Formats: sequence, structure tokens, C-alpha cells
Amino acid sequence: MSEALIKFDNITKRFSLRKGDIVAVKDFSLEIKKGEILTIVGASGCGKTTLLNMVAGFLTPSSGNILLDGQPITKIEPRCGMIFQNYALFPWLSVRKNVEFGPKINGVSKKVRREESARYIEMVGLKGFEDAYPGELSGGMRQRTALCRVLANKPDILLCDEPFAALDAMTRQIMQQELLRIVNESGQTVLFITHSIDEALILSDKIVVMSVRPGTVKDIYDIELPHPGKVEVQLTDEYLKLKRQIWAMVEEEVKASMKIVSS
Amino acid sequence: MEGKELGLWRSSVIGAIGLLVFLSIWEVLVRTNVIDPFFLPAPTQVIDKAIQMTADRDAVLLTDIKISATRVLTGFLLSVLVGVPAGLIMGMNPVIRAAINPIISIIRPLPALSWIPLSMLWLGIDEQQKYAIVFMGSFASILVYTTDATMRVDPTLRRAAMNLGASPLQILRYVILPGALPDLLTGLKVVLAIAWTCVISAEMVGANSGLGFRIWTAKEWSDTGQVLVGMISISVTVLVLDILFRGLERVLLPYQRKTSGT
Repeated sequence: MSEALIKFDNITKRFSLRKGDIVAVKDFSLEIKKGEILTIVGASGCGKTTLLNMVAGFLTPSSGNILLDGQPITKIEPRCGMIFQNYALFPWLSVRKNVEFGPKINGVSKKVRREESARYIEMVGLKGFEDAYPGELSGGMRQRTALCRVLANKPDILLCDEPFAALDAMTRQIMQQELLRIVNESGQTVLFITHSIDEALILSDKIVVMSVRPGTVKDIYDIELPHPGKVEVQLTDEYLKLKRQIWAMVEEEVKASMKIVSS
Repeated sequence: MEGKELGLWRSSVIGAIGLLVFLSIWEVLVRTNVIDPFFLPAPTQVIDKAIQMTADRDAVLLTDIKISATRVLTGFLLSVLVGVPAGLIMGMNPVIRAAINPIISIIRPLPALSWIPLSMLWLGIDEQQKYAIVFMGSFASILVYTTDATMRVDPTLRRAAMNLGASPLQILRYVILPGALPDLLTGLKVVLAIAWTCVISAEMVGANSGLGFRIWTAKEWSDTGQVLVGMISISVTVLVLDILFRGLERVLLPYQRKTSGT
């Protein structure tokens, strides 16, 4: 079971701009095991989103390979289900139709589709809102719908690009708990990106701190907090110690990134 | 108060009052001979004329409306059939867009009237020539509206669909088309009104039926009442089509009614 589900094998990504090349990610290597919740934290512009887009197949690495179950990812990969920060729900489809989009596209019969969407909708706590349109929902409910839509497509890994960044602090905390509950229930592997250290500590089995451009692995922390979701945990010495350590790492990088910007 | 909507009921009542006041002033001005009825007949005289034109044996007015409406709708539907698919392709493919855009920029500013000489040489004054005029007057606009509507579809939605496993064709069918539909319908509504101006012009220059023809011949006989009846018929028909179009929008875009403001 310790076999890596996702393996970043010495990834470098360059972007050609008019003013010259930018190396967004350099010599990035990392393994994500099946069932693991791994969070990447880093200052803005460190290439976290670029990494995620490469896993989803939206971008191709300039060199190196990203392996999914040992096979390099070469095209857009539905097995890597993406949760977008701005939800990306289809506004003309009801919650149920949004959730059934993936199965429908992939030829799942209407009956099976209906049963499964009902199950997932109940799982994320949207029962009773099946026929609502995204525009009628709050931000938290929209993100639940988006989560539900990806889960219904049965991906091998969930890619989360700061999915809770647009939510208010309280909804955000609830959504974090919900995500943990759902992921624990389904044993889903998750690659999560955030710039909130608290969010990373609450959610993760493992935290990867990235350096600023060119982005690469700066440090890896295994998180073994008891019941990490609980709010009380956030007040324990262990939690605060970890938070301080990680913040020290990130702070260096944030300062470095500011120098890049101002120079 | 300012900038606030009044609500359907109140705004209709106020609108009706405004219209009534306008018509009364007009009526009074004609009846008191401030305006010579030869140049501008009073509203009641126009109504009389309209009744006369509907009630007589051939019901000229209704026939004319039907003929003009058929011409408009035929030409318009032809434009939609060609323009919408072409616009979708142009919206999705930057190469084709770049190739077609200059041609469109040349055709689009041409008034439908300017196509009348060529179209008469090619097609005579048959029905096809009317369709052609409407087509030339609306096609380029439909193409541009469709292209824009397609390009305005949120690219993250495309990405989301691809991420869920959608093929390019499925993206077109399930993302681009519904995503572009609201803007597309708005555009088509505008173009439909333009299509009416095309057919009226075409009928004034070379035709022996239709509202444009009726208005033009009435002028020859100095029958200003008939001119006004023709003009008002155009307005009413366009208004009716507009209402029908709104109904279509309500059916096709149910989510917009429920979620207006997002």
C-alpha cells in the first residue's frame, strides 16, 4: 500500500514570456501515497497552482514526468478531479445535473446516475437542494456542489486549488471539517493547496512547504496530531509548535518573494 | 427614488397614462387645425383607417403584415441557420476567427439598402430577393453576436468539463452552447428588429405587396392615414415578436429567472 499514487519525478516548468523565460517550478520531486491528504503551502507565486494544473493535465511539464499509478500524465486526466476556487459550476444546471455531469458525459445510465448523485448529494449535506441552481446557493453550498460533482466522477485523487479561499472564516472552518469527514469516509487521496498554515495543519497527513520561484520542495512535515480536525487541537502545544516552525519557513519565503517583486 | 424600478403594474399604468396624454395632445392639435390633417391625421382618424383596411373584403392590412412577417422570419431564420454555427466555430477557433473577421468587417457596416441593386439584378423582385435582403442585413450581426457570446463563456467552465472527461464535441454541446445562449438570445432579439427595417426598405424599392409597399404607395396617393397605419403596424408587429422572444427566453433560460443578480 505504500506505493505512490502520484509521483512528481524531477519536474521543471518554464513559461516563455515576452520579457524572457520564467521558471515556475524547478526540480520538484514528491510522492503522494494512496489515501493520504497532502497539502502544499507556499507564498503566492511559488508555483503551487502550476503544479496542480500539471497533475490535472492542463499543463505539461517542461521536463520530468508526473506519474499516476506509474503511468505518466500526458493529457487532461479525469482521474485527477479538480476543485476550483471559484467553484466552476454550470449555472444553467441544477445541483443534481451538475453532480451528474461527469457520469453523464462518461455514459453512465440515467438510473445509476440518479442513484449515485442522490447518495453523494446526501453525503455532502445538500439533500433538499437537488433542484436549486448554483446562483441560488451560498458560497459554501456551491463549493459542496463542486466537491460533490468531482466525487461523483470517482477520481483517484482530489486536487483542491485553495477551494475555501473565497469563503468567510466560519463557513471555511465548517467546510474543512466536512471535507475531512467525507475524505475519511471514502478513503479519497487529496492534494490540497493553500496559503493558510492553519488550514494545512487541520487537514493534512503531510505538509510540503514550497520555496518561492523557482518553486521547489523546501521542507516536508509529517503531521501526527490526534484528531486533527478538532478545534481544541489547535490550542495544543504540539500544534502551536508545528505552526511556528512552518510559519518560520514560509515567512522566509514570503520575504524572499517580496524581494523578487520589488527588485 | 431615482434609478429604482417601479414594478410591472405601476410602470404599466404610468406608461399607459403617458401614451394617452401624448395621443390626446396630438388629437387636439389636429382637431383644432393647428396641424393640417392632410399632413398628419389625428389618432382617431388613423384608427378609422386601420379598421377600414382590416374590415374590407381583402383585409389588405392583415395580408400585408403576414407577407412582410413571412419575409422577415424566413430571411432571419436562414441567417440564424448559417450565422449561429459559423459564429460558434469562429468563437472557438482563433485561426478561423482571424481569417473571417476582415470579411465580416467589410460586410457588417453595409446598410441592407445598399444590397438592393445587386440583389434585384441577381434575383429580380421575387420573394427570394426579399429573403436575400433580410439575410444580408442580419447575417453579419448574428455572426458577430454569436462569436462574442461564445468567447464570453467562462473558460474555467470548459476546464471543469474537460476535467470531468468531456470531449471537444461534448464541450460544445453541454458547455459552450448553453453558456453562450443568454447573450446569443439577446443578440438575436436586436437583429430581429434590424431584419424588419431591412424588409421594409426592400419592399419600398421593389415589391407589390407587404407593409413597406403599402406605405410607399400610400405616399404616392398622399394617403397619410395609410402611411401611419403601415408605420404603426411595423411597431406593433415588432413588439409582438419581442414579447414572443421574451417568452422563449423564459423557457430556455429558467435558471436566470431564479437567480437574477448573479
